Amino acid sequence: MDQLPARPEHLALPDAEPVVALRGLTKRFGKVLANDSITLEIRPGRIKALLGENGAGKSTLMGMLAGRLAPDAGRIEVDGRKTRFASAREAIAAGIGMVYQHFMLVDAMSVAENVLLGQEPGFLLSPRDMERRVAELAVRYRLEIDPAARVGDLSMGEKQLVEILKLLARDSRVLIFDEPTAVLTPAETFRLFEALWSMTSQGKAVVFISHKLEEVLAVADEIAVLRAGKVEAELRPEEIGSKADLARIMIGKDVLLEVDRTAAEVREQVLEIRNLTGLGLADINLTLQRGEILAVVGVAGNGQKPLVEAVCGLTRPPRDTIFILGKPWREYYADPDWKHTLSYIPEDRLGLATMRNKNLVDNMLLTTRKGFRKGPLLRTGQAEAKTRALVKRFDIKPGRVRVLAWQLSGGNLQKAVLARELFREPRLIVAEQPTQGLDVAATEEVWRRLLDARDMAGILLVTGDLNEALQLADRVAVMYRGRVVAQFPVTDQEQVDRIGLYMAGVTES
Amino acid sequence: MDWDILVALLAAAVQSGTPILYATLGEMLSEKGGVLNLGVEGMMSVAALAAFLTAHLTGSAWLGLAAGGAAGACLALLHAVVCIGFLGNQVVSGLALTILGLGLTHFFGTPFIGLAAPGFSKFSLPLLGSLPVLGDILFRQDALVYLSYLLPAGFWFFLQRTRPGLAVRAVGEMPAAVAAAGLHPLRLRFFTAVAGGGLVGLGGAYLSLAYTHLWTNGLSAGRGWIAVALVIFAFWKPGRAVIGAYLFGGVMAFQLRLQATGTNLPSSLLLMLPYALTVLVLVFSAWRGRAAGAPAALGVNIEPEG
Repeated sequence: MDQLPARPEHLALPDAEPVVALRGLTKRFGKVLANDSITLEIRPGRIKALLGENGAGKSTLMGMLAGRLAPDAGRIEVDGRKTRFASAREAIAAGIGMVYQHFMLVDAMSVAENVLLGQEPGFLLSPRDMERRVAELAVRYRLEIDPAARVGDLSMGEKQLVEILKLLARDSRVLIFDEPTAVLTPAETFRLFEALWSMTSQGKAVVFISHKLEEVLAVADEIAVLRAGKVEAELRPEEIGSKADLARIMIGKDVLLEVDRTAAEVREQVLEIRNLTGLGLADINLTLQRGEILAVVGVAGNGQKPLVEAVCGLTRPPRDTIFILGKPWREYYADPDWKHTLSYIPEDRLGLATMRNKNLVDNMLLTTRKGFRKGPLLRTGQAEAKTRALVKRFDIKPGRVRVLAWQLSGGNLQKAVLARELFREPRLIVAEQPTQGLDVAATEEVWRRLLDARDMAGILLVTGDLNEALQLADRVAVMYRGRVVAQFPVTDQEQVDRIGLYMAGVTES
Repeated sequence: MDWDILVALLAAAVQSGTPILYATLGEMLSEKGGVLNLGVEGMMSVAALAAFLTAHLTGSAWLGLAAGGAAGACLALLHAVVCIGFLGNQVVSGLALTILGLGLTHFFGTPFIGLAAPGFSKFSLPLLGSLPVLGDILFRQDALVYLSYLLPAGFWFFLQRTRPGLAVRAVGEMPAAVAAAGLHPLRLRFFTAVAGGGLVGLGGAYLSLAYTHLWTNGLSAGRGWIAVALVIFAFWKPGRAVIGAYLFGGVMAFQLRLQATGTNLPSSLLLMLPYALTVLVLVFSAWRGRAAGAPAALGVNIEPEG
């Protein structure tokens, strides 16, 4: 993330009257005070970043601004006039538009059709005319997109551009972006930032919601930090000394963006990969002992996925290439025990790791049911008691076991998965992007749990976050085009400095 | 085979394909908006009876046609209320509609078996009707056949070149995007489901008013199911629906004629022909298209927010 573009100098327009002002907005859900008398001004030509942890109240605040929630107290002013939005439609009509994390696009239709859907009256429409109008709009805001392309064929970044065009087409003056970079590659993030600057330079106001410190520092003209429903601070990026300063304001205590780690005792070998070729991989050789963490890093799509899938039994590797807990792959997967074996913490938390419409007890049983069986029956009472204990021990909010998986926040869901997998007392853990999308506090907790788990297991950590790899791992393996191009201990500073080169496939000096 | 017999067969194919074409386009419209309606068979059958009774009582074939369309729309409205209003399962509701429709028709229609009603008769279109071969096949038909020639193009134009059509396509693909665009997904679905039902009803009316002018039970004879299959065969494209409808019309006309010639083939085997073709057509579509063109939100109800 250190290659983010530099913000153009003096792009921000001089202080104009705010297009939208929030005055003392307050919102309660039952006893929870989600937003406590929030006052913010959003000015044209500025990017206002709203920084806060998950649960700090960002979504509630933007929900009120976008007309989906009604405030309990306080008011919203548009152009200095007090306004009340009864629905999202009214907010859109007032010029406030939102780009959601989940795109609202019709895959089967063209870019132009998506952008102009529901726009202006009239009965007949001409595809050529629509494409021309969308092309003009795209050129004006320097968004590169083919208006005739089918949306289903586009990348995530391009789909986001279509969402932006939808707002621009209806002359939105305030564009709200909810975690816009979560789905983007670094190159696409770069292009998004340029588009944001292009929009603000033409007088649009942008609200950028995020919990990624680097991005906020790189893109914002003004930063508002939200904590526990209140505006904790309003700053300009120049006023902030370092990422750590900003993080401290955001979570209210000093963050361990670094963790202390002491080496654990290294014991028997739990994973061996010998000359693994095939499945898109070439000549992989890796070993892992109990008590250590081996981080596999690389640009996404360089073979990490097939490697994890083969180790975790989702795809079948060639004979005599993978040995788990001393057994050949086939023998291990013929009848793996539920306890003291391999635990997999998948990247896809709500698809592979859990069943979205099932409660925590059922989700716990997903990988541990062999431990609760009594003949052909399940000891459900015992399973529920155990789940309740785990929810308590891991502090999984909201603290009930009957809550469905999809109702949990990302951090709590990951904690639930970790709780379940660690309960199995694994000897080998495969953790895939374990902190992706989590806020600082949740990340720190996951790191701690993984470090503690070294006592019982060897951990294969597959991550795209270099900092995470260097903080946690004993050894690092870099993958490039299906090969492990370098493997070294993290103490080897010379090699660590070359990781970027390795990831780009440069191995010789 | 004699040339005249072939021309007569093709003309019959067009005639017997016409009710299937109406029903297929009706179902296609409903599905484009995201509502799967498996009640086509029941709707056609009720519409045939409603059309017959109205024509019989009023003496007007056109009023009968309108009654048929209205009957189809009413049953589709029932389906829409169940599925769009109360989020019922579309497959179950559609199947129930077929059983209900066939039952109603049988119950209320039996006393009228053998009665006649004024209907649509064939007439030759000026100029076009005197074309060699083509005139005999296409342009010496009844008014509803001529109307059906305009229908597929109108259908295409509505969906591809009008704003409401764009919205209908979008609501069948991604209702949330339609809501985000400030339109009303539920209203759009009601509209397409009911309008589609009206078209299906016209197909049913054709059976009692033009195909026969007499009332008899079991007029729909599986045509509704064929229409459901043809929507898939057509990949949700009106042009391909025309080909499919006439293909089936041809097979139906052919087996009738073959029976009339006193062939040794058992009649039940011949009656089976259109349905055997249905299976083949579905296999073909699955192999060729992998359900290409199916609206993404077809059969998926719109859950209320929050």
